[in-house]
Amino acid sequence: MTSVKNVSKDYHAGETVVHALKDLTLELADGEFAAIAGPSGSGKTTLLNLIGCIDRADKGSIEFDGKAVSSMNRHSLALFRREHLGFVFQTFNLIPVLSAYENVSFALSLLGIADAEVKERTLAILSEVGLDGLAGRLPSRLSGGQQQRVAIARALVKKPTMVLADEPTANLDSETGESILRLMQEMNRKHGTTFLFSTHDPMVMNYADRLVKLHDGAIAGDERRK
Amino acid sequence: MKFLISLSWKNLSRYRKRTIITASAIAVGLAMYIFIDGWLRGAENESTQNLVTYETAPAKIMAAGYYENLRRMPLQDGIENPGPLLAKLGSLGVAATPRTVFSGELILNKDPFPENGSVTARVIAVDPTTDERVYDFRNAVSEGRYLTPDDTGILMGAWLAEDLKAKVGYPITIVTRGRGGFYQTIDTQIVGLVNTPNPAINRSLVMMTIQAADRYLAMKGTVTEIDLKLPLGGNFDGRVEALASQLGVPSYHNGTASIEVTPAPGAIPAEGGAQAAGGLTMVGWRDLAKDYLSIAVAKQSGSSIILILVFIIAAVGVSNTMLMAIYERTREMGMMRAMGMQDGELRLAFLFEAAGIGLIGSVIGVAAGVLADWYMVARGIDIFAMLRNMDVGYRIASVSHSSWNPQVIVIAFVVGILMSVLVAYFPTRRALKLSITDCLRDT
Repeated sequence: MTSVKNVSKDYHAGETVVHALKDLTLELADGEFAAIAGPSGSGKTTLLNLIGCIDRADKGSIEFDGKAVSSMNRHSLALFRREHLGFVFQTFNLIPVLSAYENVSFALSLLGIADAEVKERTLAILSEVGLDGLAGRLPSRLSGGQQQRVAIARALVKKPTMVLADEPTANLDSETGESILRLMQEMNRKHGTTFLFSTHDPMVMNYADRLVKLHDGAIAGDERRK
Repeated sequence: MKFLISLSWKNLSRYRKRTIITASAIAVGLAMYIFIDGWLRGAENESTQNLVTYETAPAKIMAAGYYENLRRMPLQDGIENPGPLLAKLGSLGVAATPRTVFSGELILNKDPFPENGSVTARVIAVDPTTDERVYDFRNAVSEGRYLTPDDTGILMGAWLAEDLKAKVGYPITIVTRGRGGFYQTIDTQIVGLVNTPNPAINRSLVMMTIQAADRYLAMKGTVTEIDLKLPLGGNFDGRVEALASQLGVPSYHNGTASIEVTPAPGAIPAEGGAQAAGGLTMVGWRDLAKDYLSIAVAKQSGSSIILILVFIIAAVGVSNTMLMAIYERTREMGMMRAMGMQDGELRLAFLFEAAGIGLIGSVIGVAAGVLADWYMVARGIDIFAMLRNMDVGYRIASVSHSSWNPQVIVIAFVVGILMSVLVAYFPTRRALKLSITDCLRDT
């Protein structure tokens, strides 16, 4: 269970203060496949960043299974992310000098897992995301969809508690985008990993089991679909 | 760790051109450092050797009064009756030779010289039978012949002769003042020209026999100095001081200090040996070559400044490369930090990358420097054309060689890597201060 309790976050641009999130409370059950939707500036990315422990809230707290991450120091947060959270970015963010295999195995190397196990798990997840035979390719020799599959494999290979995806299909055509969503859904069903992704695309929202709508930094709707 | 090293190496190959250009800046700096250091070291070693072999000898014994007025060369302050002192030196196994040095005016008369004129010169009077024990002039005669004990002629430095348009056989007159202050005119003849590896000698030497000088200057056996041949290495000052003690010479000037020496039992004065007004003193070559050594130090400082500038240029190159590398990969850094990579691990990855550039630069730079050194040690460069008309202080007349300095080669190698790591540290630290969200927003 992930709990976001009364979280607020402001951004300061000179004299101007932008209230990105206002006293927001949200609970996510383990294994959910949830989307955060809303127009630009509604606070989607800010909420994902706070739940992903890569930004700090000004007020309120965030807990994972009762463990408050908001009070952790920089070092502990890094270790928490390393072990429990996976990220999928809009622009894929693969390391260009590393092959698909190396981009994925990197997540396991950080955990200090033995080479043999790294190899086994990396090849298995690459196969699951449909990249059999492409393990040795550099990102520059993969299509956008294939790169996002590598990113999903990288997020999942360490068996995280939650995968956070910020507009994961925004840089893909609709057909490829749908295939990526189907893959995420499949992984969610198969591994029971919680997926939380942001979008403003109605097609993407249709794939979500739960749709949390944000408007001006507050929840405007929370719809469970399945 | 293995992953970080592998990532750094792959990033180096990813920006191959940039890596090579930056590594080249380091390589040029290191190669110059090794080359210049080797050359200066070689020039200094050769200069010192030539200085001692043709100018100063390792050490001299002088009358204290003569030493104090060395530039005036006062003949009345000489060493009277040097025989017992020379005999004692002989019994101690120290090669020694007496010399008398005085100043004179060389008068050049038209025909055979092109014009009438005069030149001030420092005339060195030597004993041709013993001078070779300490100096090496016989083998340096390039034209004519060496002096004989009953010679009344002179040897002249080859470059001085060339400047005066003098040749072997030309008559020449030396006007000087004898012991007691009387004027003396010495009509003599050039019997030989000397071309040594020491340009200062080639440019200024006028040499006659001590027997002739004794007669012309009414020295009555008095000499101005006794020159000693001693090994230069190891504890040179300690050996000279010990010798001074055995000889009963009460002081030693080594270039940095004047040391009072306690005479050993049975030292010369107790036996009624050599006498001099004000006593005797021992003078080391460093004291006699103070001017040369201070020029050498100034040259080293100048070279060090140039080398520091070269290193600064290389450091700026590396720093710029690392800045670009870091800022180009801000988003990548954000992703890696989001995935749980610690700041320290990320910093290490960039420092490995910088160390890689330093390593490539060091390997190329050291290889180039060693290659240049190898050529300079084996073949050297002929700098005669430069030195013939310009006195740069070094006692090298033609081919200048380098000397190996393994310590500097190792230091250069290590410095290349460390410098690279050091200049990469600060931009990395700065980049790591950005928040993860700012890194990920970077375009």
